Amino acid sequence: MTRLARILDDRNLSYTAVAERANLQPRTVRQLASGETPMDNVAVGTIRRIASALSLPVAALLEPEPAYPGDASLSRAARLSAAIREVMWPATPTPYASPLESTTPDDVASLSADEFFADMPANDARRG
Amino acid sequence: MPVGAEVYRPVDEPDELSSGDIAFLSLARTRLVGEAPPGESFDPIGRIAGFPRPGLLLLPHDREVAVDTMFALVITHACEIDRQKNLDATVDHFDCRLAVAPIVPEPAVTLIGPDGVDQTVSWAAIEANAPVASLFLPSIPDVSILAPGLDSLPWPRAFADLRGLATVSRGMVRADRLCGLAPAYVGMLQRQLARFFTWRDLARHDLVAAMVGRRIVDAIPLNAKGDRLRVALTADDGSSVTVELRTA
Repeated sequence: MTRLARILDDRNLSYTAVAERANLQPRTVRQLASGETPMDNVAVGTIRRIASALSLPVAALLEPEPAYPGDASLSRAARLSAAIREVMWPATPTPYASPLESTTPDDVASLSADEFFADMPANDARRG
Repeated sequence: MPVGAEVYRPVDEPDELSSGDIAFLSLARTRLVGEAPPGESFDPIGRIAGFPRPGLLLLPHDREVAVDTMFALVITHACEIDRQKNLDATVDHFDCRLAVAPIVPEPAVTLIGPDGVDQTVSWAAIEANAPVASLFLPSIPDVSILAPGLDSLPWPRAFADLRGLATVSRGMVRADRLCGLAPAYVGMLQRQLARFFTWRDLARHDLVAAMVGRRIVDAIPLNAKGDRLRVALTADDGSSVTVELRTA
């Protein structure tokens, strides 16, 4: 959930109500609140108007800088916690090509790994 | 359906790297400028949930390197990871590359089938590891049980997408490793890898090419399953091949 969405939720405000106060299209507010349009992809003036309509500083609407692998300013645990929040639980799902190509399972889909590899000869005994 | 306690295992920072390790990584892939997996039709500006935070490095001749940051699963066999060390290879000759598969979490995606329609049934099949291109990764109510020190956070159900393999360095996996797969479930990973790379059966192109122009002298139906029929064909030179036909 974006910061804007959380604020609207807490104050029980609709997109339309905020859009009217900020003199913006409701769709613009919805796209920003849902995360469909990232805050850093719109004009600063748009964010200022929303912040003003909510009587908040602009910074209150901006998402924190995302965690990146190896970020030395964060501990490993803090980095991984932030990554789980941001990468595994994004605000909005987007379409993605399913790995399922057929609803008819093939003959080996129900085999355990042991059954699947049961008759396979060892091929790596001399590799070390 | 596998559950979290059967699938994951905790790893300590100094533990040896292994097949099935899960880490927070930046994955690079080269492409023509603007190409975005898993297909331009899904998101023309490249903001794909399963491949978030794209970074770009322009190359000559309309090529670019796209860098995406996400969790990924190490698929290189543990024996391969250990092999050079076991063979006393010098550090200079260590190969640092590990193959990884990006992890696609359920909250990030709406799965779309080949016909362009939402697949509400997909997750049941993915949980059963029915598709050849995915390894199911179940949810965990609290990751801090697996990785002490982390915040108490749930991990959603997800799948490792074998269609998006990339290589990263050992050091990157070690720096941001979250947990690993339990040994029994690494077996399932290996089964899925074998299925993914061989699922269209062995390529018998030479055999088929040799039959072109020959007369089919016999056709024996072998067995039918659903809309599929297997037929043994014999050519006039005595060679034969079995083909599978779809009747629908």
